[in-house]
Amino acid sequence: MSKIRALVVDDSKIMRSAVKRALNNLMLADFEYVEAKDGEDALNKFNEDIEIMFVDWNMPNMTGVEFAQAIREQGNDHIPIIMVTAEKSMGKVDKALNEGGANEYVTKPFTADKMHKAISDYFDEEGNIASGDDEEEDKSFFKGILNS
Amino acid sequence: MKIAEIEELEQIPEELVEKVEESVLNTFGSIIGEELEYIEYENGDKPLNGIIGNIAVFNTDHTLSLMLAIPKDTALYFSKVFIGMELPFESDDMGDLVGEVSNILAGDVAANVEKVGFRGQSSLPTATRGSDLTLFMPNKPPTKKMKFKSENTEFLLTMVLSESN
Repeated sequence: MSKIRALVVDDSKIMRSAVKRALNNLMLADFEYVEAKDGEDALNKFNEDIEIMFVDWNMPNMTGVEFAQAIREQGNDHIPIIMVTAEKSMGKVDKALNEGGANEYVTKPFTADKMHKAISDYFDEEGNIASGDDEEEDKSFFKGILNS
Repeated sequence: MKIAEIEELEQIPEELVEKVEESVLNTFGSIIGEELEYIEYENGDKPLNGIIGNIAVFNTDHTLSLMLAIPKDTALYFSKVFIGMELPFESDDMGDLVGEVSNILAGDVAANVEKVGFRGQSSLPTATRGSDLTLFMPNKPPTKKMKFKSENTEFLLTMVLSESN
């Protein structure tokens, strides 16, 4: 099993730890983490080795949605972006998935089950990022709601 | 819901209060895994020794400020259930935790009050630690104090409705 490089973006160190702990407990993959404290910091730390991203919304300097938009504008469409956020109004979910280009939406406080539902499809049985070539991407509003 | 001029309001509209109360019960019920109950606030409550988490849900017209007053014992319990270990009360991490808890509550409040017509976004949270803390607001805007209790926790929430500057 090769290590999966995950970028965890949240202005709360406690939340970054909670996300990392949840991911480790799920044992879907062997993760190696890069942490960032806001969208701006995340853009600086982002590189082509990053394979999946867990991104908060409400952060100083640059929000998670602004960060996601910037990443997509750079042409990095293949990297899954999982929004992990306290924002839960329907308009916000829709904005993150459709304007921000996020793939999934997990609301805080999250459970292991909620996180598993959101991300398990992105990993194969060997703990690698699934290619997902055969699947048509579903960014529907309701997909995000289902993971909330 | 149309909110009247703040000067004309003697209290926060009941439908807003109900939605915030509902959010507190849901959010903290999920975080701590215990059923909470709302207790009528009594003015004789002692000054707080603990942490206050401040956050607001605001739009261009109005700001709904939420001040979460968490006694030391409850803050320690939150840290145990939230991250699996008790954080030192004096640590920066404890402030981070209370800020994040406030942020999670505000996210739920923003979604919930939208259902009664108050559309707004959350501010970033701040946390203040201290002893003998007493909450007050200048100009006496409409304010509602609420107290919540569960098996292992007890905390106060003060909500204030004011005009956005």
